[in-house]
Amino acid sequence: MNKRNAEQKLEQVLHQALSGLPPRRAPSTLESRVANELAHRAQLPWWRASFAAWPVAARVMFILVSAVLGAATILGGVSAYLGDRSFDEAAALLLSWAQPFLTVVSSAGGLVALLVHVISPLWLYGVLGVGIFLYVTLFGLGAAAYRTLYLPSPAGDAS
Amino acid sequence: MRAYQDMVFSTAARLAGNDTQAEDISQEVFIRAYEHFSDLRSSVTAGGWLKTVTTNLTLNYLSRYRKRWRLFSEMRSNTQDSEDDGAELDWEVPDTILADLSAEQRSVIVDTALRQLPEHQRLPLVLYHFEDLSYQEIADKLNVSLTKIKTDIRRARAALLPLLQNVGGARDTLDG
Repeated sequence: MNKRNAEQKLEQVLHQALSGLPPRRAPSTLESRVANELAHRAQLPWWRASFAAWPVAARVMFILVSAVLGAATILGGVSAYLGDRSFDEAAALLLSWAQPFLTVVSSAGGLVALLVHVISPLWLYGVLGVGIFLYVTLFGLGAAAYRTLYLPSPAGDAS
Repeated sequence: MRAYQDMVFSTAARLAGNDTQAEDISQEVFIRAYEHFSDLRSSVTAGGWLKTVTTNLTLNYLSRYRKRWRLFSEMRSNTQDSEDDGAELDWEVPDTILADLSAEQRSVIVDTALRQLPEHQRLPLVLYHFEDLSYQEIADKLNVSLTKIKTDIRRARAALLPLLQNVGGARDTLDG
């Protein structure tokens, strides 16, 4: 019997054996557990239940109040920061914050260009290769640790 | 609840491979059913609803622990796929399995064997053979590739067969 036929036969035989099985009997404690949990949840005040179970009015009010508070916080923060400046002044102020960042990026770019120009390409490729090697090694160590320490005994991997 | 509790518990237990987790999941299923009681009371599809909710809750429960290892798990599986593609079943497939036992006895033996399978094989196998889902539906539910599902189910069957055939110890337990 070839592999495909054997697998098809195995599927049929197993399906026959598994599909007709009766359900397992639930523990006798399940019904009382559910009843106790329902009673416990029923005693909780509405605001401790899940949001979906809140009264509609409470949900609408919560969303409105949250939106108002959020908007007030943002608008208040922005207006406190900008004060009574005009739009142009506000834009210039924001750009002035970005100026140091742009300077740093520009300097770093110049430095990289200088290094590429000065350093031999062989060294650059070497550093790149070492970086890739270290990354792959770390990944392999992680995989080996997973297979050794975490993975349970693969009883089903006997194929 | 009494009419469905065995079905709900059984579905969760076979998927999870753990009775304690299955009881927790069953409890949550019936609490959700209670919240939808007005819809389910007169519905003829209540059993299907309960089964779907049980399956989804169990998969959600298990996925919390599965996500962090998915990368390595799939990597390992892919490696083994290439190693095992040429493997043959090295034993004869019988015409029937456990046919001489009662349904109750077969159930105990099958559930014991299922618990010995790793999760990535047990889940698709149970969904295929007990829940009658197609390969594609299982792949969608578990969010893994169709190829991996087929491989895992094939391996699970190959692993389950010797476990079911080697029922001497289990029979002693049953007889005892």
